[in-house]
Amino acid sequence: MDTHAALFEQGRQRLDALRQLPPRQQASLKDKMLEHGFTRREFMQWSAAVTALLALPLPFSSLVAEAAELADRVPLVWLHLAECTGCSESLTRADTPDLDTLIFDHISLEYHETLMAAAGWQAEENLEHALSEYHGNYLLAVEGAVPTANNGVFLTVGCKGKTGLELVKEAAAGAAAIIAVGTCSSFGGVQAAAPNPTGAKGVHDVIDRTVINLGGCPPSEKNIVGTLMYYVMFGRLPALDMFNRPKWAYGARVHDNCERRGHFDAGEFVEEFSDHNAKDGYCLYKVGCKGPYTYNNCPTERFNGHVSWPVLAGHGCIGCSEPNFWDDMADFEKPLGRQLLHGLDASADTVGAVIIGAAVIGIGAHAVASLFANSKED
Amino acid sequence: MATATPAYERVKVFSAAIRIFHWLRALSIVILTASGFYISWPYLVGADTTDVLVQGWIRYAHLVCGFILCAVTLVRAYLYFFSKSDIERRSFQDVKNYRSWIIQLKSYFWIGGLEHKGVYGPLQYVTYLAVTLLAVFMCVTGLTLYANVYHQGMGGALWGAASWVTEAFGGLAWVRILHHYVTWAFIIFLVIHIYMAVWMGIRFKHNAVDAIVSGYDYHPKHTD
Repeated sequence: MDTHAALFEQGRQRLDALRQLPPRQQASLKDKMLEHGFTRREFMQWSAAVTALLALPLPFSSLVAEAAELADRVPLVWLHLAECTGCSESLTRADTPDLDTLIFDHISLEYHETLMAAAGWQAEENLEHALSEYHGNYLLAVEGAVPTANNGVFLTVGCKGKTGLELVKEAAAGAAAIIAVGTCSSFGGVQAAAPNPTGAKGVHDVIDRTVINLGGCPPSEKNIVGTLMYYVMFGRLPALDMFNRPKWAYGARVHDNCERRGHFDAGEFVEEFSDHNAKDGYCLYKVGCKGPYTYNNCPTERFNGHVSWPVLAGHGCIGCSEPNFWDDMADFEKPLGRQLLHGLDASADTVGAVIIGAAVIGIGAHAVASLFANSKED
Repeated sequence: MATATPAYERVKVFSAAIRIFHWLRALSIVILTASGFYISWPYLVGADTTDVLVQGWIRYAHLVCGFILCAVTLVRAYLYFFSKSDIERRSFQDVKNYRSWIIQLKSYFWIGGLEHKGVYGPLQYVTYLAVTLLAVFMCVTGLTLYANVYHQGMGGALWGAASWVTEAFGGLAWVRILHHYVTWAFIIFLVIHIYMAVWMGIRFKHNAVDAIVSGYDYHPKHTD
């Protein structure tokens, strides 16, 4: 804890400052929890879990709890660009809404196209109001890639027909911090896959500021809420890796904490789906698992309130939280040694074998010719 | 031919260091290729007990040989520039001279003889340089993959550089894909390399296969 004393103090001051601000929700978090049947004990458990998730020592759980209560002091603007809304769904459509969902509700969500009641001109007015009223203070979350080709006309949003590119630039200008939620807004995602006719890009490619990238298709609700909590608590960005992903969430490979890792090291692999090895829960590497080169905390945090995650369900990781995953990780159900070179319908190893065959034939021809050639020196 | 004069002359070509590092490198490349193909497509059946870490041991062999290749690549680069004998360095003069290229290319098609200033022909020299650069590429990508798995000790020390490389490649996926593709360059090189070494020995009686073991080139004396 000694090493974290300064950080704790920083959080303390930040929360004290937030407390001075007026709440933007009518009901306090305590009332909402009562209404939804969450006990104080469950809330403290949740706080401790989020503290551990953020790789902070346990005493920080009191700060996390307080940050959750004060989350309605931090205005949040959530933009939807070229996307499927799966990231919002990841948060809001859990079959048993848990505390993560509730706290997301509690955050002062000024603008969110899926969740707001307003439409048309009224929606546009809400957005403009939020951007000017909270200029310099709001947290901007962006879901979806930014189409940039033809000046961004592949995506226009709202009654004024603004392009996604205009919207994100406008919103980013007054944002205190920017979070790219999901692979599309982080790295372009499926929309940016070759040949990428719309010129889709991640948010960090179109604005000149640090963007926290929460890769994942979708990222788990824990990673979204954890990032929001971190910002509410400290008012700054967490430690980020080379692709600006929070280290507490993306610091380890899926492979590192995988429950099937023992089978990998033992050389026990599923040969095809539904074979006996699959029933025994062997490693999914040979049916294409990309866990060894994908950074995420799926094995430890899982999805849908910690119920399951792809590898537990019996399919390998497809590397959805990595840059350019749709192109780089394909084929999803084949490992590297059996990957097809796209457009050639031949794996790299086949190409290699053909080249080696050609080389051997060339050598053979040369050797035979040498037999008949007159020796220069004899 | 007078019997008193020996029919063969003996020329020292490769120093002991060059020979040892050549075979160390050859051994490591063979093991790296075999274990690397297992890592990309685990072709051996597991031992049906988790006490025997099949993948773990093969990966271990791959890492050990990988470090050997890194070390040999470094030492050989040093030896090229600073070894006592300049037999390798002299070959660079042939690389700069286009006539040497024509002489060597013709010799492959059974026209004319060999004429080298150093131990390598120009095409041979450039090929070895390319293979060396590919070895450097394999070492860099290999160490990057290593640091992404082993976060402490040496992996931890390399982490800063490794994350830079990972970013430059646009993710670990491409580090791995290119590491896999370039393996084939070594396999193709190996086949051609062995053939050329043997062929040169047969056609021009400069047997590099002999020299890389014994260090000496036993060459029939010119009678003309």
